[in-house]
Amino acid sequence: MAGKIKQMIDAIITQRAKDNAMLVGVIKTKLLLKGIDPNKFNAQSVDDPAIIAKLEAVIKELK
Amino acid sequence: MSIKTALSTKTDLQDVINDLQEQLKDVEANLIVFFASSIFVPDEIAKRVDAAFPQAVTFGCSTAGEIISGRMLTHSVVAMAFNRQSVKAVKAVVLEDLNHDSHDAFTVLEQHFGSPMEELDPKQYVGIVLTDGLSGKEELIIDRIGDLTNVNFIGGSAGDDLKFDATYVYANGRSYSNAAVLALIEPSDAFTFVKTQSFSRLPQKLVVTKANEATREVLEFNHKPAAEAYAEALGTTVADAPNHFMHNPVGLVFEDEPFVRSPKLIKGDSLFFYCSVVEGMELSLLESTDIIADTKKALETARQELGGISGIINFNCILRTLELGQKGLSDAYGELFNIAPTIGFSTYGEQFIGHINQTATILVFR
Repeated sequence: MAGKIKQMIDAIITQRAKDNAMLVGVIKTKLLLKGIDPNKFNAQSVDDPAIIAKLEAVIKELK
Repeated sequence: MSIKTALSTKTDLQDVINDLQEQLKDVEANLIVFFASSIFVPDEIAKRVDAAFPQAVTFGCSTAGEIISGRMLTHSVVAMAFNRQSVKAVKAVVLEDLNHDSHDAFTVLEQHFGSPMEELDPKQYVGIVLTDGLSGKEELIIDRIGDLTNVNFIGGSAGDDLKFDATYVYANGRSYSNAAVLALIEPSDAFTFVKTQSFSRLPQKLVVTKANEATREVLEFNHKPAAEAYAEALGTTVADAPNHFMHNPVGLVFEDEPFVRSPKLIKGDSLFFYCSVVEGMELSLLESTDIIADTKKALETARQELGGISGIINFNCILRTLELGQKGLSDAYGELFNIAPTIGFSTYGEQFIGHINQTATILVFR
């Protein structure tokens, strides 16, 4: 399977940025500093369980 | 905006307080931010500054050097006073136990401002975070803040004049260690942020393949012992590698913007850093450039963005301060801040979005 990581990253950005373009960069940077480079994943990226688990933890922490 | 600064180079605390009161006597301050050398007794300076400005919220921290418009200093106290024309509202809370979730502190801020933190407009509010600079907990704090709100928090880690014994944060008349101050401010006018570091990216890449995030230790880069891989990237020996730490840190680069991670020491095969690195991170070797030119350019960009500057708070890494001193550029750096009322301090780490090193994180008010 592929593409789940990109979907999760997009969902986080959409949820937090709420169409505010300025916030998109900030949220991408936050993900980067948590160890997930949002620019490294696309619709063809393999569903790496370790990255997915990391993103699930991020989603749980985000308000 | 109406922002005013004060400075004292006296060593007797009562003289310091007299200086600050005299220089700020025309300001009906509702907020006093102050940075003080570690020569002053923490409890005393926190209490006396607060008592000197009874109508104001007061917060600050100990330092490894102070900055005021035009000058870089040591063994002094600098303060910035805001009135209601410059700050509409402010609340400072303390995280008294850095192992504890910051959510409780946010509850206090939410009650004060009457809104959930996640709903506050980041264009209307700004946060300042000051942390015990020896706690090693900055990542946890700034990361959690980022989880809970879109309001940007900027700040620095308290210093102690390079003694590395104890650092303190101050709020509302008390001093704290192993703690952080979170201040939420509603300025009356626009503000912006400068994050400036003076490094260019070299082609050498170091991927963190084994790390202990909690101790800021990298055991392996590129599946090799970390110290050996770093030295190899530099083209030198492990023994010589520490001589390159200041001029060749590494950086997490995102869309051409480096987030600097500075090496602290080599122990065995491991490389320890001043901020955490996470397994899987791809770091680039960096090379130092011109701090004066880069900072000047960054401040000019901020001035153009805002159309004018009425106040600046500069959280400047102690490693930058040391480099400026080594190059005889401390005066030139201080003079960059003659453009507006400025205070700042030499930090043991900087915060903006994340915890970073060898950077100046700067809050700029219009």
